[in-house]
Formats: sequence, structure tokens, C-alpha cells
Amino acid sequence: MKKTLALFAAVALVAGANAEDKIVIKGSDTLGAKMVPQLAEAYKEAGNEVSFEIAAEGSSSAFTNLLAGTADIGMSSRNIKDSEVDEFTAKGMEIKDWIGAYDMIGVIVNENSSIEGLTVEQIEGIFTGDITDWSEVGGDAGPISVYTRNTSSGTYKSFQEMAMNKRDYGADTQKMAGNEQIAEEVAKNANGIGYVGLAYTDKDGIKAVAVNDVELKPENAKDYPIARSLHYYTIDGKLSEAATKFLTWATTDEKAAEIVSRVGFIALSE
Amino acid sequence: MSQTAPTGDNKPNPEAGSVVFKRKGFQFMGLGTQDFIRFFFGGNASLAIIILILICVFLAKEAFMFFPQHHAGLKDYRQSGQEFVDYIGDEIGAHTNLYSSANIAYFAEVNRTSREEDDILRAHRAVLANLENLTSKTWGRFEREVDALEDVGDDLEDLDPAKEEDQPKIAALQEEKERLEKEIVKFRVELKEEVSAAINTNEAWELGVGSDAPPPESLPKLREAVLFEASPEVDEEHPYIAELKAVSKAKKAAAVEEFADFKATLKAMQDVVRPLKSLHSEIRSIASENKAVLVKLSTAADRKEAWIKGAAATKDPDEKARMLAEAEKVVIEAPDYDAMAEPFYEVIPEHAALIAPIDTEMAVLFQQLPDKVETRSAHENLKRAKVYYDRFVKTVAENRENIKGWSHEKPVSAVESVSSFLFGRDWITNSSWHDVYGLLPIFTGSLLISIIALVVAVPFAVSAAIYVNQLAPLREQNFVKPAIEFIEAIPSVVLGFFGILVFGETLRVVSQVEWLQWVPGFPMAERLTILNAGLLLAFMAIPTIFTLTEDALNNIPQALTENSLAMGASKLQTVFRVVVPTAVSGIIAAVLLGFGRIIGETMVVLLVAGNKIKIPDFTEGIGVIAQPTHTMTGIIAQELAEVDAGSLHWRALFMVGMVLFAISLIVNFSAQRVLKRFQKI
Repeated sequence: MKKTLALFAAVALVAGANAEDKIVIKGSDTLGAKMVPQLAEAYKEAGNEVSFEIAAEGSSSAFTNLLAGTADIGMSSRNIKDSEVDEFTAKGMEIKDWIGAYDMIGVIVNENSSIEGLTVEQIEGIFTGDITDWSEVGGDAGPISVYTRNTSSGTYKSFQEMAMNKRDYGADTQKMAGNEQIAEEVAKNANGIGYVGLAYTDKDGIKAVAVNDVELKPENAKDYPIARSLHYYTIDGKLSEAATKFLTWATTDEKAAEIVSRVGFIALSE
Repeated sequence: MSQTAPTGDNKPNPEAGSVVFKRKGFQFMGLGTQDFIRFFFGGNASLAIIILILICVFLAKEAFMFFPQHHAGLKDYRQSGQEFVDYIGDEIGAHTNLYSSANIAYFAEVNRTSREEDDILRAHRAVLANLENLTSKTWGRFEREVDALEDVGDDLEDLDPAKEEDQPKIAALQEEKERLEKEIVKFRVELKEEVSAAINTNEAWELGVGSDAPPPESLPKLREAVLFEASPEVDEEHPYIAELKAVSKAKKAAAVEEFADFKATLKAMQDVVRPLKSLHSEIRSIASENKAVLVKLSTAADRKEAWIKGAAATKDPDEKARMLAEAEKVVIEAPDYDAMAEPFYEVIPEHAALIAPIDTEMAVLFQQLPDKVETRSAHENLKRAKVYYDRFVKTVAENRENIKGWSHEKPVSAVESVSSFLFGRDWITNSSWHDVYGLLPIFTGSLLISIIALVVAVPFAVSAAIYVNQLAPLREQNFVKPAIEFIEAIPSVVLGFFGILVFGETLRVVSQVEWLQWVPGFPMAERLTILNAGLLLAFMAIPTIFTLTEDALNNIPQALTENSLAMGASKLQTVFRVVVPTAVSGIIAAVLLGFGRIIGETMVVLLVAGNKIKIPDFTEGIGVIAQPTHTMTGIIAQELAEVDAGSLHWRALFMVGMVLFAISLIVNFSAQRVLKRFQKI
């Protein structure tokens, strides 16, 4: 009996040690689809013995998971909302914000479209449903099909704040599960318009339009009107050592910066 | 019965019985093995029922708590003044719809003059893009070589020819440069050949959905221009294209002159509403602030408690003092609602002064819109503008009363909380302004998809069942039945994937075919539509309906068929006059259960229905099936991951689940009732 108990204890210890070195990261699809998994791979290759669990279901899930204690790090492509901060304080937790990279949101149209550029006002009109036909913004006539991310996405929210004057999306918009799906639909629909992260704008069949005459290029990040920062959120004082080390590496190391720009975002140092 | 029948053997003998079935072996508290087995199965069955009841209670509790919370939300909406602001917002929205339709009509007229040139230009863009896709591999290699050459050039510049140690490097780079230059020349030739081969394929001339073909006489020139621009040396426009662009521009400019009156009317329409818009955005920010105050208030008690708890738990005195101070800062007292609403009451006369001239001027301006237009699009949009104008007048009249009678203290009735959910026409969540939970858009979406699925599935499934059960030879039966039932084994997510990648595109391509244009809704612009989802669900429902119909047919007593045949009826007469009419209630039950299967299906509709949360536009008649929509099951799957437990949004999704549950319950119940009637025969 004693032997069995000892065995159990040993197993529990090993399991405990493993659990400590596992970093659970949840949240935004924008960060979680490419950037964070690649950072995690590179971090492991650099000789750090940790394992990662990464789930990308939209920025809002970052906060629900942090709140429930089911994630160490939350990825978010938008700033935390006041109401969310309140929920953390209500549980006696304080949230810490790490900025991971900058992103530009590209407004994409079908590659056969005659549209080359739009103003922010026109974009607001299109996405809120005030403008319903391409001829109203200088294109060939045709009813506009608007594709957006779904409501749990941080891009959904930050696009609303940056390009739509915080107004609600029009009822005619179609809510897609991710960047890929939006690019796919716009590529197949001559009258389609949508928005995706910078990394997705070089897909076949679509092109990014200039916004307020500024083209979507990393070097224009400062002038481009629809740009934002990408965040990692953690709970102050509750972050494991391994996770802290990873985040510090991901936000400061040169190799990490290289990966960040390779997947189409703009690293902090640039 | 004879009284003298021998007795003894037949008489039940309790003692003898107990000897035969004597309980031996395991006994515990007077219960034997068999009792335990019986209790085990009985216990499991009742446990399943208890769990089912618990689930129902949990769902019902979470769902019905929605209404009080929704009620509080509506109260906040009124007290913060957002309701008031939205009255004015509605007026502006109605005006925008009207303006937008008229504006589209204007551009349709202006663009008409340059239609021919624009068609050619559009074809030019499409063919160029197609060529690029067709030759993308060689292009990629070509561009890599060009980049490499540039890099070599840069490296060469960095090196100093005067230095001794750099000489071997320079020589190597020079060699590399020459090799690359040769390669590039070779690639150029290759690319040129590839492009001239690709332009002869049909793929190159696919112009995309909904574009008109350019006039045939322009094709040779267009071809020449495309070939010229697609070659790797050229980075400029072909003169033909440049000319077309210039002509198109000039024609449009002339048209703008021609329609100057139209444009002036449009501009006046926009100008007249401008002061109302600025008033709206002004009070909108006030209402937003009010709302933020109310939201903060609703979580204040929790926050205060959390700080106090935190202070009690910590040992550090500084930290403790800080937390207590934070707790002190949390304000739980209700704000001064009257003061919050004050700005809106002040605005009422200003609004009245603004809206009166807008009303009269819009009436004049609307009359100034042209009656006679050339293009069909302009005609349709002006017709739509008329509808929107009537709606605008109605909105203004209604909201004049609403605004006059608005009071932030008017209580929100319980009925309002329920009816605005069940009959609400909008579903807006994660809004920066005000979340709205209205069931109608997703309910109609689910219903439309189900109807299409049933209309398609029922004839196929029922006739297949009749054929297999009554008419098919045995060998055919043994093949067809398992084949149809196999459909059920396909995971719905696989089917949804197929719907996105293959079926949607196929449907759209088919919808472009000329001789199919009589079909309502064709040609379709979207790939993810009600029709797409409906057809896939029909496919999924076929095995359910098929199997149940077949069962119903199997249950027909053999005697009925035999009687009919014996009286000289043919096999077909027997099937259609005796068997099917007798089994009709069973068939109806099968259809109902098929409906239950369809309306509860999630994955396919989430992937394929297009996820547009809006009541479909029924003015197009049956053509409504070409529109995207959202469903009750889809919205739960899509939004449940993001919401906090206990929030209003969370409960709203539970409520949608309850509605689905109720529908399933009713469907199953009626199916049972129908079947019962059938069993009486």
C-alpha cells in the first residue's frame, strides 16, 4: 500500500512539473493563426523546454478565459473594454497589457474591381449600409456584398472604432469565421468587399485598396488610418515564470521580431 | 367447464413453485442477484430521466432569467436617452436610404453613356488577372531571378574593385550576374510563349460574375492590348486602353453636365439634412456617456465587495489601505436620472424646428427627381426611392409624436421585454451603442432554409421509400436502402465544407447559365445562400425521412395488400390506392421528424448560410432563396464562445436555444400524435 501511494505521489509530482512548463495562450485569431504559433515554435527551437497550447477563437475569448483561469496569456487584437476591466477588478485581479506588434487592417476588394482607393467616410458608409452600390463610390455599378469578421473578433471591434466612427455594422453584412474565409469570398465575388489583416492581403484574387490615398504597405504604417496594436494580456502577479520569460522574449528578441514581420505584422522595433 | 375435471396437477401449488424457483447463491438483505440486475437497469433508466429533467430545468432557468435582465437593459436604454437619440437616428436612416437609392439611379444614368468602354475595360482587367494567375508559376520564378540580380548588383557596389582581397569575390559575383542575366532573357522568352499560349485558353476569357461581355468588334484590339501589357518587358498601358480610359472619362464628364439638375437635387437632399445630423451626433455622445455611467453602476456593488474582500485577504498594510481606498471610491449611489435626461428635453424644440423644413423641402426635392430614365437600374432604384420616401414621411410623422411624448421615466412594461425579443427585427450584439436581441431575423432564416430542404427532400425521400418498399426487386432493395442510409454517416461538418468549397461555386456558375434565367433568384451573386444551405440540408434529411417512411409502409398489415390484389387490383393500384393512403399518417410523421432534424442542424448552416443577420427581403418573391441568411442554431454556435456567463447576451442565446427546444418538442409531439392515429387501424 505504501508503495502504491509513493508511486501515485511520484506521478503527481511529474505531472505537476509538466503542468508548470505548459503555457496556455488563447484569444484573437489575428495573432493566434500564424504569429503566436510560429513564435512558440521558434522559442522551443531556441532551447526552451516548454509546451504550448494555443487556441484562437476571437479576442473576446481571451478575456473570458483569463477570467476563468483557463489561459495564462490572452491574445487580443483590440484594447480591453472598460466593462471587461471591471469584471477583472470585481474578481480582485489586475490586468497587464503587453504590446506584441502593430497591424494594419487592409480593406480588400475583388482584383477585377475598378476601385483603387476609398476614403474612410466611404468605408464607413459601405460597412454601415448607407452606401449599397459600387457606383456611389466611383466604381462600376453593382450591389456591394460586405463581408466582416464575426462579433467575437477583435478586428470586428477595432475596425468599428477606426473606420466606422463606432457605428454599428449594417444588417446586410455577412459575418465570416476568419480572415481566410473573408479573402476567399471576396476573391470569388466581383462585388465583394471585406477587411483582413496585412498578412492576408497578398492572397490570389483580391487586392487591398488605398485608404485616404495611403497605400497598404508596412512603411506607411504611421499614415495609414486603419492601423492598431496587437496585445498580449496577462493577470498581474499570477503569471508563471516560463510564461513571463516567453513574453519578454516574444516582445523584445530580434529573432521574434523577424518572425513578426515575416507573418505580415510590424514589429515594435521597426 | 366440467366440474369433475381432474384436479391436483393443474392446481397452482405455492410450495412446489418455491421449490422449483428456489433462490440460491448470493443474497444480500434479502435481495438476490436478479433483483440487483433489475434495480441496476431500472436505476439507470430513472437516472437518465432525472438528468434530462435537470438539464431542462437548468436551461429554462437560464433562459427565462433573460427577461428580467432584458427588461433592465431596456430601462437603461430609455433612461440614458439612447431611445430618444435613436428616434432621430431613424429619421436620418430613412433619409439615407432614400438618398442612396436616388444616388445609385443617378450614377446608373451617368455611367450608361460610357457603358461600352467600361465593359471593355472591365474585360481587360479580368483577362489580365486571369493571365497572371495562369502563368503565376513562371512569373514567380522570373521575379525571383530579377530580385537575385538586384541583390548581386547591390553586393557588387559594396565591394571595392581597388582592394586586393575583394577581387575573387567580385569575379564570382560578375559570373553570377552574367548567369542571371542569361536566365532572365531565357525566362522572358518562356513567359512570352506561355502568355501567348494562355490567352488562347477559355480560362483566360472568363469575365467573372455579372459582367457584360465587351462588343465583339473590340476583341482583337483587346487581345492585342492584353498581350502587350502581359509581356515582361512592358510596364505601361497599351495606347488602346489609355484611349478607352480617356473616352470613358470624357463621356462621363459630358453626362455629368447633362444630368446637372439631377445632381443638384441630390446635393440639396444631402444639405437639407445636415443640421439634423450634427444635432444627432451631438446628443449621441451625451447618451453614450449616460449609458457608460449606468453600466458602471450595475457592476459597482460587485467591485466594491471584491476590493473589500481583497483587503481582508492581504497581509501587507500598504496594500490593504490602497484596496480599502479603492473600495471607498466605488460609487454605488444611483445617478441623478433627471439631470441625465435634461439635455434631451432641451433638444425637443430644436428638433421640431429642424425637422419641419426638412419635411417640406424633401417633398419638393423628391418631386424634382427625374421621372424618365434610360437604364433599368435607374428605373428600379427610383421606384425604390419612392418606397423609401413614403417610409421617410411615415417615420418623420411617427417620431414627431414619439419625441414629443418621450419621457425617461416612462416605465418599461414586461410585455415590451418579451415582445421585443420574440418579434424584434434586429439582432445586434457587441455594439458600441446598444445591443438588440430580436428573434425574427434568425427565426425566418431557419424557417426558410428548412422549408427549402423539405420541399426538395420530401418528394425524393418518400418516393424512394415507396419504390424500394413496394416495387423494387429484392436485389435492388438490398443495394438502394443501405446506400441512402449511408448518407446519414457523413459528418455534417464535412458536408458544410463541401458546401463552401464545391457546391456553392457550382451553384453560382450554374445560376449564370443563360437558359436558366427564368429560375427565381438567378443569377446569384453569392456563394453562401439560403438555397445552398437548404439543398445540403435536404440531402441530410433524406435518410431520416426515407427510413421512417419505409417503416410506416412496412407496418401496413399484409392482409390489406393481399385483399386488394385478390380483388383484381394491379400492383400500382394497390400501392397508390391502398398502401400509401393507409400509411399517410406515418409518412406525415416521417416528414415532421425530418423537419426536426433539419431545424436543429448547426454545422452546415453555420458554414454555408452566409451569416447575414437580417430578415430576408421578400419583395423578390421566391428569389429570396439567393440571399444569405443566419439561423438560430448558427447564432448559438457562433456567439456562445465569446460571451460571459450570466450576461444578457449569454441568456439571449439560451433563450434562442429554448425556442429551438420548443419547436423540436412541438414537432416530435405532433409526430407522435399523428402516429397514434395511424396505429388504430
